[in-house]
Amino acid sequence: MKQSLDRFHARMDAWGEKLREKEFRIPVDLTVGVIFLIFALVIMWIMPQQVVISEKDVVNGRAFPTLLMTVMIIACAALIVKELYKIATKKPLTWKVINLQVEMKALVILAILVISYMLCRVTDLFVVGAVFCALGFLFYFRCKKPSYYVITIAIAVGIWAAFRFVLGVDF
Amino acid sequence: MLEYIVPATGLLFTLENILWINIGVFVGSVFAAIPGLSVILCVILFLPVTYTMTAIPGMMFLLGIYCAGGYGGSVSAILINTPGTPHAAATMLDGHPLSQQGRTKAALKIALYASTFGGVFSALMLLFLGPQVAKIAAQLGTPEYFMVCVFGLTIIAGVSGKSMIRGIISACLGLLIACIGSDPMTSYDRFTFGVSRLYLGLDLAVCLIGLFALVEILAKAEKRLDALHLDTRKIKDDGKITKSEYKRMIRPVLLSSLIGVMVGIIPGTGASEASWFSYSQAKNMSKHPEEFGHGSVEGIAAAESANNAVTGATLIPLLTLGIPGDGTVALMLSALMINGLNPGLSLFTTDGDIMYAIMLGLILVNIFMCIQGKFLTTLFAKVVSIPQEILTPVIVIFCFAGAYSVNNNYFDVGVALIFGALAWILRKLDMPPVPILLGLVLGKMTEPHFRRALLISNGDPAIFFSSIYCLIFLALIIVAVATIIRGKLNDQKKERAAAAAAANVHEEE
Repeated sequence: MKQSLDRFHARMDAWGEKLREKEFRIPVDLTVGVIFLIFALVIMWIMPQQVVISEKDVVNGRAFPTLLMTVMIIACAALIVKELYKIATKKPLTWKVINLQVEMKALVILAILVISYMLCRVTDLFVVGAVFCALGFLFYFRCKKPSYYVITIAIAVGIWAAFRFVLGVDF
Repeated sequence: MLEYIVPATGLLFTLENILWINIGVFVGSVFAAIPGLSVILCVILFLPVTYTMTAIPGMMFLLGIYCAGGYGGSVSAILINTPGTPHAAATMLDGHPLSQQGRTKAALKIALYASTFGGVFSALMLLFLGPQVAKIAAQLGTPEYFMVCVFGLTIIAGVSGKSMIRGIISACLGLLIACIGSDPMTSYDRFTFGVSRLYLGLDLAVCLIGLFALVEILAKAEKRLDALHLDTRKIKDDGKITKSEYKRMIRPVLLSSLIGVMVGIIPGTGASEASWFSYSQAKNMSKHPEEFGHGSVEGIAAAESANNAVTGATLIPLLTLGIPGDGTVALMLSALMINGLNPGLSLFTTDGDIMYAIMLGLILVNIFMCIQGKFLTTLFAKVVSIPQEILTPVIVIFCFAGAYSVNNNYFDVGVALIFGALAWILRKLDMPPVPILLGLVLGKMTEPHFRRALLISNGDPAIFFSSIYCLIFLALIIVAVATIIRGKLNDQKKERAAAAAAANVHEEE
């Protein structure tokens, strides 16, 4: 068991090392400008289906979201123009480095969170998801101390019990 | 004022309130002492707990967390040279060197006393200034309130990130999320996408658990798991502060408390700005500026009194105008509103007894913070070294339990998870999350004022420039935007100069 675990960790380390070297850069202001410009346009496009209004309204439920999306479009346009000007004048852009190893690790953490949530939902027992979450993170952190496992699982059950029996939350 | 203080005292001094104050102070101190955990995270995690309470115990609990968070950050700053909260960074400059000189307990005591003084001073300012500002707020109508909201959002969007434009986009996103659910004026559905659970809108606490708490869990992917080991046996000095040291503390503590209050009243600024500004003022005014950075008593006192003096001051715009001074007090607004207490003059008149109980309670919170700090410092010091392996899943379980308990269903846990993933993407794009929070909080107030004002004027937007108060707020918005842009340009200039200097050094080598 210990050997297979060590082999698994070694394989993960080798994989992680390869991923650590893989980085890509994004022009962050330009990306923000484009993404949120598209987002604002999509919201404007779906507004008639998503916000029902009455013909009699002087100021209807679409007025405020439209104002917000207009402000967002102006802000995004300003960002895009600023960045395009930088490109035209050959000034340096603002870059953001995305490291694949970090993103993969974040995905693993997200997977632990989602599985914990699914376990809670499927079993309808919060404590099951809580215990899985505790074990998942200890495994993620490669914890080898048995005492940490005992303490964390005890706290997980303790939190469930406190919410269930003290605060009266039904789960 | 006096007619409210007597009934307020009766409402405040109950066993329940005292208990919740102490629980809040304890929890806040522990969270702030642990590097990586923040006061806002703590308030978000425990906000759902207050939903079942009445206004006074709920606010006492949250204020206990908020004030103790101001002091708690200094514990790890002094002990292990790592600030538990960002605003404790200035305390670290002198706190840790004093600790290394074998005076750890003395450094912690100075921080505690200065924090307590700053907190009590700030609470008194709230008590005296709050009702006066509320009287002015009572003269504001619907269009003026909309301008107040725009002012609050603009200044916060401007100062919370590196780029003002990105802050504005974030604020718009927050305001748009606040639109999800039924229309506040017609009750028609908006942006529900056929999901029946969305008719009631998204709960603030659930969104914030994702935006601020779960994203920190995802951020563990970025950090190395360094263990912070602290040998509490090292805290063995007698903690004695000499008479001359007390004398030297008086001036910086008084001045910094005043600075903290002034900084705290301005929305968007916070404890970090106050503590750094006070620290530099104390250094300039000190007879021993050479001691700063090497364990100066004045340095610790100045930074700590300033960051706690912000606590009461941030509540002044919150309780009078509904504009939160920072992200943490924005959450307190929802705790108040859930109990039917809306910001403005009525809070100080119709609900005066409750409001004065809360304001007097803030003084009590600081006193209990001092008592707990005096007797439990060694315990707070021990929590600094709680391993991340244990802490991380515990926070997640708290997040899930908190999100579930808001409406007793797993849908909200799913929403929190979606917001956590969204916040991770926004972090990758350098989008500040605080304007989203402000948008979520102020959205419920901004839109009704906007639409009511336009209804009054029959759709004419000139109503937003029709009164003297509207014009004052418009001028304030223009001044704020100009100041922020000027500040950002200066920062960029400095960055360019530093980069050029670094390039020159590199070329010479």
